[in-house]
Amino acid sequence: MDEKKGPGDEKYICRCEEVTEAEIRDAIRAGARSVVEIKRWTRAGMGICQGRSCRRLVERILAEELKLKPEEIEISSFRQPVRPVSIKAMDE
Amino acid sequence: MAYLRCDVAILGAGVNGTSIAYELSKRGKKVLLIDKIVMGAGASGSCDDMILLQSKKPGILLEMAFKSLELFESLKDELPSDIEFETRGGTILIEDEEHLAIMEDFVASQNKYGLDVEIIDRKRLLQLQPLVAEDIIASTYSARDSQVNPMLLMKAFLLGARQKGMELLSRTRATSVERLNSGWRLLLDSGDSVETEVVVNAAGAWANDITKLIGFEVPITPRKGQVIVTEAIPPLGATNVWSAQYIVSKLKPQDAAKNASGGAAAQAPAERFGLGFAFTGTHNGNYLIGSTRENRGFDKSTDPEAIGLLSAQVERFFPVMSKINFIRTFAGLRPSTPDGYPFLGEIPGAPGFFIAAGHEGDGIALSPITALVMADLITGKKPKFPMETFDPGRFGGKAGL
Repeated sequence: MDEKKGPGDEKYICRCEEVTEAEIRDAIRAGARSVVEIKRWTRAGMGICQGRSCRRLVERILAEELKLKPEEIEISSFRQPVRPVSIKAMDE
Repeated sequence: MAYLRCDVAILGAGVNGTSIAYELSKRGKKVLLIDKIVMGAGASGSCDDMILLQSKKPGILLEMAFKSLELFESLKDELPSDIEFETRGGTILIEDEEHLAIMEDFVASQNKYGLDVEIIDRKRLLQLQPLVAEDIIASTYSARDSQVNPMLLMKAFLLGARQKGMELLSRTRATSVERLNSGWRLLLDSGDSVETEVVVNAAGAWANDITKLIGFEVPITPRKGQVIVTEAIPPLGATNVWSAQYIVSKLKPQDAAKNASGGAAAQAPAERFGLGFAFTGTHNGNYLIGSTRENRGFDKSTDPEAIGLLSAQVERFFPVMSKINFIRTFAGLRPSTPDGYPFLGEIPGAPGFFIAAGHEGDGIALSPITALVMADLITGKKPKFPMETFDPGRFGGKAGL
């Protein structure tokens, strides 16, 4: 990993899990090519908002790094219940 | 279209594929790791984080789990990135006198085998789990039960193997396999072809798709486990938790049915979903609430009925959880085998074609030892464990090439 600080090192893309732009770019350079791989590699998108804030940003960084159009980025998966639900609400 | 050469081609980049890749790379082999989707796309990326000794029946799997735990202790320093390995201990909650009697016997048999586990009373349990439900009468406790982050573990194996020259191909699968005079040729759907001395099938629940290519049927079937992920919360207690119900249903299925938690009304769905309670807090503060054991083919969806059962179950053992939100659910397909043992070894009639799959719920815990015995077999060393139990040919058949 590059030790020297560049622009984006301190910029948080996923605020729930505190993942910086630099960490996401590192994951792509290590071989990630989709939002789901970046999620597994860095936890970006795995917090309380489930990627609703950062998914678009991650897709843009991916498109930029891989030199693809945004629509060429693999669509990421969504996990139920998408928004937080209380345990109590589910217990029947 | 490329023509690739390697010493060992591993199919499946789950926890066992990556651990074997790491071990063989360390031993100087040129490894190519191939996954039809991406790293951790199967069961290894859809599971909890527990390395349990207590759940193992005394026997070779418990012995291998002991060795695996030792290996984890050195891997956490040896691997190039953090794996969040931690030894928190584990507690199995006991709901009534009948379960207590069964668990006392089980613990005694584990003690004889050298596992450090004991029954603790409610007073001691409260020191470990202050928020446990009022009617839990006792618990087991083993200080050795541990945990590891499966995603970080795979990532670390992958980075470690890469440093030693391993290459990874994602999003491509083998469509045909041809035996050469020495070794094998794989044709991939990317158009690439791979020539290799050795093939290792580490495709978990999908392992049979690969053995079929050499005319061999391996009885591995997918068993679905649904899990709830909560929002991050402060730790509720010191240990990982699961219920005696789970162990009892393994040991004495008829008793388990009679005593299914939630009473007679809940009995049928709980059985239908193979419900068992497993509860663990991750490093990030999210709790994982599991799990079901269902035979539903390759369907990976989660459903409200199962999530409802899991929710009711966590409230039953930890009433405070009713106030907590969950943010995600997922299901993983555990590769299960008819006798509960994985297939580790060479496929009969196919020299140089190996399989390491079928660990069901023990894949993460056993990945370090699996890598060691597989690397021994592949490099012609005698593994330190008797391998007959894991023989890929034990249900008959032979490769039809």
